[in-house]
Amino acid sequence: MTGNLSRRSFLKSTAAVGLGCAAELGGIARAPAAEIINFATWSAAVDTVKSHLAAFEAKTGIKVNYSNLPWAQYRETMITKFVGNAPIDTLWVSDSWLPEWADAGWLVPIDQYKTLTAYNADASDFCNQSMIYKGRQYGLTYYTDYMGFIYDNELLQKAGIASPPTTWAEVADQAKTVKSKGLSEWPVLISLAQETWLIEFLSAMVFSHGGRFVDDNGNAVMQDGGALSALRWLVDAVHKHKILSPSCVETGELAGLKTFSSGQHAFGLIPKYRLRTLNDPSQSQIAGRAMLALMPQGEGGSHATVGWMRFYGMTPRAQADTTRAENTVKLIEWFGGKADGEYRFQKLLFKDVGAAFGVKSLFNDPEMREAYKAYGDVDLIGKQQALARKKDVISPWFGEWNDVNGASWQQAVLGKVTPEQALKTSAAKWAELKKQS
Amino acid sequence: MTTSAGFARRPTPTTGLSYDERRAYLFLTPLAAVLMGIAVFPILYSFYVSLYSIKLTRPQRAPFVWLDNYVVVLSDPQFWGAVERTVIFSVIAVAAILVLALLVALLLNEEFPGRRVLSALLLIPWAIPYVANALMWKWIYDSNYGALNGILYQLDFIDTYMVWLGDADKTLALIANAFVWKEVPLAAILLLVGLKTIPADLYSAAKVDGANVVKRFLHVTLPALGPSFALVLIYETMMAIRHFDLFFILTEGGPGDASHVVAWRIYVETFRNLSFGTGAAMSYILALATLALSYVFIRALAQRVTT
Amino acid sequence: MAPRVRAQRLRLRHLSRIVVLWAASLAFLVYVLAPVAWLLSSSFQTEREIVSRPPHWIPQQPTLQNFTAIFAAKDRSVTYETRRAADPATGGYIPSTASNLVPAISNSLLVACAVVVFNLLVGVPAAYAMAKIRFRGRQASIYAILATRVIPDIALVVPFFLFIRNLGLLDSLWSLIITYLAVTVPFSVFILVSYFESLPDELDKAARVDGCSRLQTLTRVYLPLALPSVVAVMLFAFLASWNEFLLALMFTQTPKSQTLPIIVASFTSDFTISFSFINAAGVIAVIPPVILAVAFERYIVSGLTAGAVKG
Repeated sequence: MTGNLSRRSFLKSTAAVGLGCAAELGGIARAPAAEIINFATWSAAVDTVKSHLAAFEAKTGIKVNYSNLPWAQYRETMITKFVGNAPIDTLWVSDSWLPEWADAGWLVPIDQYKTLTAYNADASDFCNQSMIYKGRQYGLTYYTDYMGFIYDNELLQKAGIASPPTTWAEVADQAKTVKSKGLSEWPVLISLAQETWLIEFLSAMVFSHGGRFVDDNGNAVMQDGGALSALRWLVDAVHKHKILSPSCVETGELAGLKTFSSGQHAFGLIPKYRLRTLNDPSQSQIAGRAMLALMPQGEGGSHATVGWMRFYGMTPRAQADTTRAENTVKLIEWFGGKADGEYRFQKLLFKDVGAAFGVKSLFNDPEMREAYKAYGDVDLIGKQQALARKKDVISPWFGEWNDVNGASWQQAVLGKVTPEQALKTSAAKWAELKKQS
Repeated sequence: MTTSAGFARRPTPTTGLSYDERRAYLFLTPLAAVLMGIAVFPILYSFYVSLYSIKLTRPQRAPFVWLDNYVVVLSDPQFWGAVERTVIFSVIAVAAILVLALLVALLLNEEFPGRRVLSALLLIPWAIPYVANALMWKWIYDSNYGALNGILYQLDFIDTYMVWLGDADKTLALIANAFVWKEVPLAAILLLVGLKTIPADLYSAAKVDGANVVKRFLHVTLPALGPSFALVLIYETMMAIRHFDLFFILTEGGPGDASHVVAWRIYVETFRNLSFGTGAAMSYILALATLALSYVFIRALAQRVTT
Repeated sequence: MAPRVRAQRLRLRHLSRIVVLWAASLAFLVYVLAPVAWLLSSSFQTEREIVSRPPHWIPQQPTLQNFTAIFAAKDRSVTYETRRAADPATGGYIPSTASNLVPAISNSLLVACAVVVFNLLVGVPAAYAMAKIRFRGRQASIYAILATRVIPDIALVVPFFLFIRNLGLLDSLWSLIITYLAVTVPFSVFILVSYFESLPDELDKAARVDGCSRLQTLTRVYLPLALPSVVAVMLFAFLASWNEFLLALMFTQTPKSQTLPIIVASFTSDFTISFSFINAAGVIAVIPPVILAVAFERYIVSGLTAGAVKG
C-alpha cells in the first residue's frame, strides 16, 4: 500500500540522513600540527623537565608540547590515549609495560637510530636489558631505582632499639615495641593502594621472602613459597600485630610519603630515591632522620629487593614522518643521553629529586658522589642496588593480570579471603592469560 | 466542522499521507535522524562487536566467535560478584532516596515563610556536576584530613580518625550516600508534584472522619502517591544501576573488590583490559537487564494505576 | 468543648506544627548545605591549614591563592635558574594543568549551548507533532523514545567510541555535541509533549481556521504558551551537558576538547596536588550550574507539573 511504502521510505531516509550528517561532520577534522613534538610524562620533577625543555627549545628551535599526568593512573590514562589516537611522539614508559605496549603497536623500536644506541655502552646492564623486547631496543633510560626499606632513626632511638631489623620477624617485634611506647600508632608503612606502584611494593615483599611470582619458564609459582609467606606477613601485620594500618589498601605511594615525612611511622617500604625528599628540611618534618637499611629477609629469604627502570619510548606516529622522527630522536637524546656534551638532565634529576641514573660513568662523578653523601650511606645504597632484581611478571598480559593480582592481595589484607585463596586466584589468572596469548 | 480540518484529513492521491501526517513526519524527521543515528545504531553495532573477540592489545587478530563472549561473561564469577554489588548498592540507594525524598516533599508541601528559599536551595545538589559531588565527598571521607572524621572526632563519637572509603564493609554505603545526596532533589520534586495533585477535599473528608496527622498520612497521602512513588522508584533504580562517575572518582572499584560494580566492570574490561568484544557483550547484557527491569516495573505500575 | 480549651488546643497544635517545621527545615538546610559549605571553606584555605586535625571549619587564614592560580595561571617560563627543586610529590603543588581549567570552561559552555539549541530545534517540532497531530505510530513513538534512554550510557560507549574513532572525530567538540544531543533529546521531548498535551486543542483549530500552517501554529500560538516547559528543557539540557562525565572521558583526549568535569576529575587523582586547590577547582565547577538552577527554579517545577494539575 502506498501508506506503508511511504513509512518505510521515511524510515530509510531518516537513517540515511542521520548517518550522512554524522559522516559529514567527520570531515571537520583538524590538520595535524607538523612542528610540535608531543612529550607525555607523569608528574614528577615537573620544573626540572620544563627547565631542560626550555634549553632544548632555545638550542634547536623545536617546539615541544609537554604534558604530565598522575603516575598513579598513568598506564590506564595512556592506554585510553593510545586507543583514542591522541597525538603523542615520545613518552616515559615503565619497564612493566614494554611487552604489552610493543605488541599492541604503541611503541616502536629505536635501535635504528645510531645516535641513541651509542649510549648503551655507558648504561648499566640492568637498564639495557630492561629495554629490549624480542631482540629490539625500545628506548633510552630515564631513571632507575629500587624499593628501599627506610626507617626513622629518631623513633627507633626513642624506643630504645639499637639497630634496625634484619628480618621481617624482627620488623614485627620492633614495630610492636615502638607502638607500645606510644611513639607511633601504625609503625609500619606499606602502600597497598591499587595504583601503578603496587606491583613494585608486592615484588619487594615477595623477593625478600625468597619467593617469586613466576619462574624462569613463565609459569606461575606465586601460590606458595615466598609469595605466600610475604602475604601472610602482611595479613598478620594488619590483623594480628596491628602494626600496619588497615587503611594501607587505600594509601598510595605519594600519600604514604607524606605521612612518613610527618613522622607518623617508624618503618616503611619506600622507593630509595625518596630519601632525598625525606631528608630535605624544606619538604619533610623528619629531615636527617630517614635512613636506609637492607631489605629485611623473610624465612628462607634474602635481602633482595625489586629494581625497576623507566625509559623514553617512541610512538609509531613520531616515526611516520621523517622530520618528526628526527626531532623526536633529538629530544630523546637531549633527555636520555647527553645535552651539550654532558649528562645534564640526569644530574639535575638526581640533585632535585634524588632519582638514580643508569649511566655508569656518572657514578665516578665527584659532584654525584658528594650529593649522594648528603642523604645516605653511599656504600649501603650500592650494596642494596646489587641485590635489586627485575620484576618477573613483565609480559604482554601484565596489565590485566596486575589488576587481578592487586585486588587479590588487597582482599587478603582486608581479611575477605585467605592468603592461599588470594594467591590461587592470581596464579589462575596468570595461567589463563598466558594460555590465551 | 471546519473546512480546514476536512482538508487536512483528505489523503492526497500521490503519497497516501494526509497533510497532517506529512507535517508530523516532517517535524519528526530531525528527532528520528538523531535517535536512529545515535541511539539505535550503537545498540545494533554493539551487538555486532560483541560477536567478535577483539583485544586492542592484539590488533592483528579479531576472530568471529559467535556468542562465546557472552558465555565467558556469564560464567565469570567476577561478573556475578559485580552484579551482586550493583544490586546491594541500588537497593541501599533507592530505599534511602525514597525515604528522604518523601520527607523533603512533605516539608516543602507545607505553607510556611521561607519555603520558596528552601525550594530553591533544594536544587543545589541536583545542579552540581557528578564529578564535583564525587570530589566533595572524597574530601569529606578522607581518612587523614576529612570532615567526617573531623566532626565525629570533635563530637567525641570516635577517639581516633577512622578509615572510611578504604574499609571494604563501608565502601558501598558511603558511595550510596554520595549518590543519594545528589539524587534526592529530583526525587523530592517528582514526589512534590504528586503531593500537589491530591485534592484538598480528601484531606478535609479525612479530618471530618476524625483522622489525625499520622492516619491522614497513611490513608490519604501514601495511597495517592502510588504512581509518583513508582515513577521515582523506576527512575532512580535505572540511575543507580548504571552509575559510573562516583565509582570512578571515589574508589575505582576498590578496595579489593568492594565497589566493583557492573558499570565499573564494563569500563575496566573495555578501556583497561582493552577487550572490546567481552566489554560489548557485558554492556549488552546490562542493557537487556535494564530493559527487562523497566518493563517489569512499568507493567506493575500500569496495574496499580488501573486497579 | 469550652471555647478557651479549644483555643488553647488549637494554639498548641499550631505551635507544635511550627516547631516541627522549623526543626525539619533546619535538618534539611544542614543536609543540603553542609557539604557544599565545607567545599567552599576548603577552597579558601592554605595547604598548611587544610591539613589540620581536626579541620578548621572556618578558615583562620583565608586566601584567594587557589583561585588566582586557576585564573591567572600562565605558564611561567622555567629555566635552570628559576626551576623549583622541590619534588611535587610532597604536595602543595599547583599543577601546570591548572591553566587548562579556563579553556575547559569555555569548552563546556560551547557544548552546552550547542546542545540546548539543537535540543530545541529537534525537540519542539517533534513534541508538537506528537502532542497535537494524529498520525500513525504516535503512541508507539513516545514509548520508543523513552526506551532509548533505558539503555545505560556505558553500554553505548563501546560502539560509539569505535564509530567516532573511525570517523576521526575523537577529541573534537562535535563528538560531544552529537552524543549529548542523543542523551538529552528523549527527556526533553517527554517534557515538551506533556506540556503541549496540557494546552487546549481548540487553539490549534482556531489557528488553522485563521489560515496558519502547522509551523505557524507552532511558533505563533503554542510556543509562547509553552514557555515554562521550554525553559525547563533548556535548563535540563544545559545542566546535563555541563555535568556529563563518562562520554567526555571517552571522547576527549587533549585539553583542546576536554570539558570541565574531565579537568576537575584529573586533579582528584593526582596526589601531588594541594587539597585546597582541588576544592577550589570543584567550586568553579559548581558555581555556574547552581546559579542557573536556583535562578530558574520556578520553571523546573512548573515544567514538570505540566498536565499534572489539570483543572
